[in-house]
Amino acid sequence: MIQKKICMLGSFAVGKTSLVRRFVENMFSDKYLTTIGVKIEKKNVNINQENVSLVIWDIAGEDGFHHMKSSYLRGMSGYFLVVDKTRASTLDSAKDVRKKINEVYCDIPCILLFNKMDLTGQWDIEDSVIEELHHEGWDIVKTSAKTGLGVEEAFNRLATKMLEK
Amino acid sequence: MPDTSIGNISGNKISDKDELTYLRSLILAPEQSEISELKERLNNPKIRAEELSRVIAEAIVVRAAKDQKLATALLPTIETVLRDAVKKDPKFLVDTIFPIMGPAIRRAISEALRSMIQSLSKTLEYAFSWRGIKWRIESIQTRKPFAEIVLLHTLVYRVEQIFLIHKETGLVLQHVAADSIDVKDADMVSAMLTAIQDFVNDSFSGKEDSSLQNLNLGELTVWIEQGPGAVLAAVIRGNPLQELRTILQETLENIEFEYSSALDNFEGNAAPFESCRPRLLYCLSQAQQTDARANKISSKLSTKRVKQNTGKKENLIIFLYVAAALCLLILIAGYIISIL
Repeated sequence: MIQKKICMLGSFAVGKTSLVRRFVENMFSDKYLTTIGVKIEKKNVNINQENVSLVIWDIAGEDGFHHMKSSYLRGMSGYFLVVDKTRASTLDSAKDVRKKINEVYCDIPCILLFNKMDLTGQWDIEDSVIEELHHEGWDIVKTSAKTGLGVEEAFNRLATKMLEK
Repeated sequence: MPDTSIGNISGNKISDKDELTYLRSLILAPEQSEISELKERLNNPKIRAEELSRVIAEAIVVRAAKDQKLATALLPTIETVLRDAVKKDPKFLVDTIFPIMGPAIRRAISEALRSMIQSLSKTLEYAFSWRGIKWRIESIQTRKPFAEIVLLHTLVYRVEQIFLIHKETGLVLQHVAADSIDVKDADMVSAMLTAIQDFVNDSFSGKEDSSLQNLNLGELTVWIEQGPGAVLAAVIRGNPLQELRTILQETLENIEFEYSSALDNFEGNAAPFESCRPRLLYCLSQAQQTDARANKISSKLSTKRVKQNTGKKENLIIFLYVAAALCLLILIAGYIISIL
């Protein structure tokens, strides 16, 4: 079985842990408990008839790359940048992280997740911004850890990209 | 016969051969010029060297990525160069590897001291007990050092699991476990071990060459050996001998040497490391043999252990009697000497 290390990155309280929990355990809780350090989960998926073991490093949310423990990113095959659609500042943070990671790791598969799609009345990021990012070449998936929207798709897509590389 | 020769500009007649040459030069002048230039480039060593220098780096990278032939071809030359360089100036090699040698030597010394201290503390603990006296007699009979006899009788441990982990990614390469051990998900355990090491290094250590070596949790100890490409972690129940540490170090060194290419190119497929399993199982079995021997001895002692524990007070009394007797003997000897 092929193993791949993937990291969940993004500002605090964007829903990284919830997304992992939804993907691994198919569960969701409204209760917010901040992640300290890193939490590791694992799930096996089947991509193009190949069994892949995804070892997911859910890293504590930080604003900006300079605060992040870069040692946790070592050896990763791909990563998610999670953005809270109800907080525009989390997108700026995600862009900063992506830029810094590209300087160090260059060309690692990355998918930008716009999370909390279920909170329709509270969106702070316009769809036009997302379109623009899409045209700039970002791979984007809209997700909701609460409803499960886009979660499986995101992980499967990242796994496929990692295998293609 | 009509005159078919072509005249040049000045009107002089040109031969057929010259005509062909002239025609060729008219039609193919640019190509002829290119061919002359190419010939010049091929025949001029300086120009060839200049052009090759532009692509040689990329060519090496491309070739090295395809197979090992380039490395094999260069190996004899590099060996000769290194040998000659060292012969010419050994100091440069010493200076180059000194930063690596220093920490390695310090670590070896620290391990040896730790082993000595462990041995010494056990020796002192049992020096004045009835059991200690028995073991002294056994040491004389078997001609083994007293410290070794003490350790054999007291240390009981079991290596329960061994993880071989890819250092960079934290992914497990191989995992072996002793029988009847409740094994958690090896992938998760190895990833967490890696995360813990990263956390400790980032939070408490500023030095690049320092690493986490031990974790203790109740009866369980996790010994961690770090290599450049892999980490070997042993989960041990009990009080292990320092020689187990040496076995783990040697096992890791052998794996690093034999699988260096596989470790460098690891991208998630642990199949190339299947052949490591016998080495890891050896680490497991090595510990268990010592365990079996200690268990054998300790089972003989265990029937006496209850009596010995309750007889500690008696031991103390016996010791006092012996000490008193010795003092009396010394006094008598002194009195006799003074008379004489």
